Amino acid sequence: MKRILGVALGILTAIGGFVDIGDLVTNAVVGSRFGLSLIWVVGVGVAGICIFANMSGRVAAASGRATFEVIRERLGPRAGLANLSASFFINLMTVTAELGGIALALQLATSVHYLLLIPVAVVAVWLVIWRVKFSIMENVTGLLGLALIVFVVALFLLKPDWGSLAGQALAPAVPDEETGAAYWYFAIALFGAAMTPYEVFFFSSGAVEEGWTIKDLIQSRINVLVGFPLGGLLSVAIAACAAVVLLPAGIAVTSISQVILPVAEGAGKLGLAFVLVGLVAATFGAALETTLSSGYTLAQFFGWSWGKFRRPAQAARFHLSMIICLLIGVAVLSTGVDPVLITEYSVVFSAVALPLTYLPILIVANDPQYMGGHVNGRGVNVLAMIYLVVILAASLAAIPLMIVTGAGS
Amino acid sequence: MKTPRPLVPVPPVAGRTLDAQLHLLDRQVLDNDGVPVTTVDDLELSPPGSGPEIPEGTPAPVITALLTGPILGTRIFGGRPPSSRLIRIPWKDVADVGVVVRLGVSGQNLDADWVERWIRDKIIARIPGGSRDPR
Repeated sequence: MKRILGVALGILTAIGGFVDIGDLVTNAVVGSRFGLSLIWVVGVGVAGICIFANMSGRVAAASGRATFEVIRERLGPRAGLANLSASFFINLMTVTAELGGIALALQLATSVHYLLLIPVAVVAVWLVIWRVKFSIMENVTGLLGLALIVFVVALFLLKPDWGSLAGQALAPAVPDEETGAAYWYFAIALFGAAMTPYEVFFFSSGAVEEGWTIKDLIQSRINVLVGFPLGGLLSVAIAACAAVVLLPAGIAVTSISQVILPVAEGAGKLGLAFVLVGLVAATFGAALETTLSSGYTLAQFFGWSWGKFRRPAQAARFHLSMIICLLIGVAVLSTGVDPVLITEYSVVFSAVALPLTYLPILIVANDPQYMGGHVNGRGVNVLAMIYLVVILAASLAAIPLMIVTGAGS
Repeated sequence: MKTPRPLVPVPPVAGRTLDAQLHLLDRQVLDNDGVPVTTVDDLELSPPGSGPEIPEGTPAPVITALLTGPILGTRIFGGRPPSSRLIRIPWKDVADVGVVVRLGVSGQNLDADWVERWIRDKIIARIPGGSRDPR
């Protein structure tokens, strides 16, 4: 019974924790401009994150090594440092975006200007990282994040023309008023939002935090293979809501208030209350995960003591580096730069950096010295290789498309 | 210019052969309590002889210490720091080499951990709750 509860809790938190500011903004933007014609990318991205999150979890459980230790060992210090610089920079951008997301979500709830709420958000994030137990942190933010299911409810209440939605999704075509380059630019953004590298850093380090062993692998596999696709469905619902309400009205999403507009229209005040809770929980949870990921990547590269399972004093450099990251995030936000804009750039840069994270994991997951008998099976390797080609193509195409399309505008 | 003589083949050794590049460099170092200390940033070998000429029959160099600290920068960007600037973990403190390098001593007293201790004592331990067990 306890086991079943554990599995259920794991799945629910995986669903609630799947969506972050990147998924929210990108899916709403795409829905409002392209309808459901790009929704296949969410499917491709979710399947990819399932394969690689599962793999990095297995590496962590079998060898006790988290992702960035492995990256440094396999790539050496020079390529490792280049990788760290890129991953850390993008992670920092995501931290900033999530912090801004919390403040924007709180602004919607309180009508206080978001710049005044940023200190509240950052202190709350730091306090949780400083004091709260890892599993409580994960479960609370994950369960509250489930409030975003209101996007699914709102979609049904909006009574859309299901036939035309299905048509858009199943026979993807570039809408008349959009260019092919913009279509593919947003395809890469959606892919980057679904496969963000921090999720892998966080997932593998979380496995070490919670002391997973091979015995826990089945549960983690269920969490990933059930929870992530259902979380992906939330992403689809966000895009579909935008496609139903905003696309016909000609509103292209540029702010968080437009992201939740369809929920207000479909599910009314109660829906709005739910979506605000979900929004705060999702951005807050992701802010915790990205901040921790910054600390994890640095500590694992340099070999420092790390982990929330230790007292902060026993992982001093780890905690200090996270404090500095949060302060940098606040400094960037306090210039008044739009967090939604940071988000849009961060998901594309995530796509650029994807191969840096995923290739070393694939190599180590095939190394019997680390994995013993738990090396990748042939089927997983074939899938992973196919994904590497897709990831590489997206990574190489991202910057040229960004320039050609003027970042999708 | 004299062509170098072909190298003598490696003599057979008892026990496990470790590849310095593959099994030692960039591996995580844990102390005797399993607490991470550092990563193996470089290795120090004993000098094979005093002069530039290495006479026949000189014993092969052995690893004297794991190196850490600023040496990492020189491994990335090149160059060599003076010997006095190296932070060493003597090889005799190494207890086991697997997917991690385990030490037989506590990290608390190692020079390699002084930055961690400094940040702990001067900053982190002074913030309220910094010494509280999260579990």
